[in-house]
Amino acid sequence: MTQEELTAITVDKSVDARGTSCPGPLLAAKKAMGEIQSGQILEVLSADEGTKKDIPKWATKKKHGYLGTVEESGFFKIFIKKG
Amino acid sequence: MENKKLCLALFSGSVDKLVAAGVILGGAAAEDMDVEIFVLLQAAFAFNKENAMTNDRVAEITDKKEEFLASLDRLNTAHWTETFAMVKEMINVKIHVCGFAGKVWNGYKKEDFIDIVDDICGIGEYMTAAEEADINLFI
Repeated sequence: MTQEELTAITVDKSVDARGTSCPGPLLAAKKAMGEIQSGQILEVLSADEGTKKDIPKWATKKKHGYLGTVEESGFFKIFIKKG
Repeated sequence: MENKKLCLALFSGSVDKLVAAGVILGGAAAEDMDVEIFVLLQAAFAFNKENAMTNDRVAEITDKKEEFLASLDRLNTAHWTETFAMVKEMINVKIHVCGFAGKVWNGYKKEDFIDIVDDICGIGEYMTAAEEADINLFI
């Protein structure tokens, strides 16, 4: 998805993991994923550079759809569609 | 499909290595692995109820100990006992304390150790778990 499409997306759940370091955001993503239904969209806010790569890889491995990442100042938003 | 297995032998019991173990446990939780943790010699000191929260030993770059501990605070890093407990709620984690190690540090029963400990074990149990694990780590 393009940055514009991602920015316009309506998410079903948003989890703010900006206060944590690795593996905090990854675990926050995993927990939140357990609370939404297949096809719903999760947004993870993270300021941890390592998880920027980690979460998309994890999501793909777990058969979820990685939609993309939007960079904000000092953090980023990762969008995943539950598989 | 059966979960992958991680076998974690904790020997050092220093805060730096326990924090690292906590991060790896987090990774195991994300991957839905089953984990067996074995608390060996020096780690039994850290897992003893009396010492868990006051133990501030570091094993590596000890000349930077204060900087390291201050950084953990600055980054709001949870105490390793909290990380272990959180992961234990997410996936199947069993924590065994080596009977000999326990005695070295005056811990004789499960109750002498922090609540997340499941039992006291012998080396046979470690060998079996190590043999069956997909990933083996000695920290």
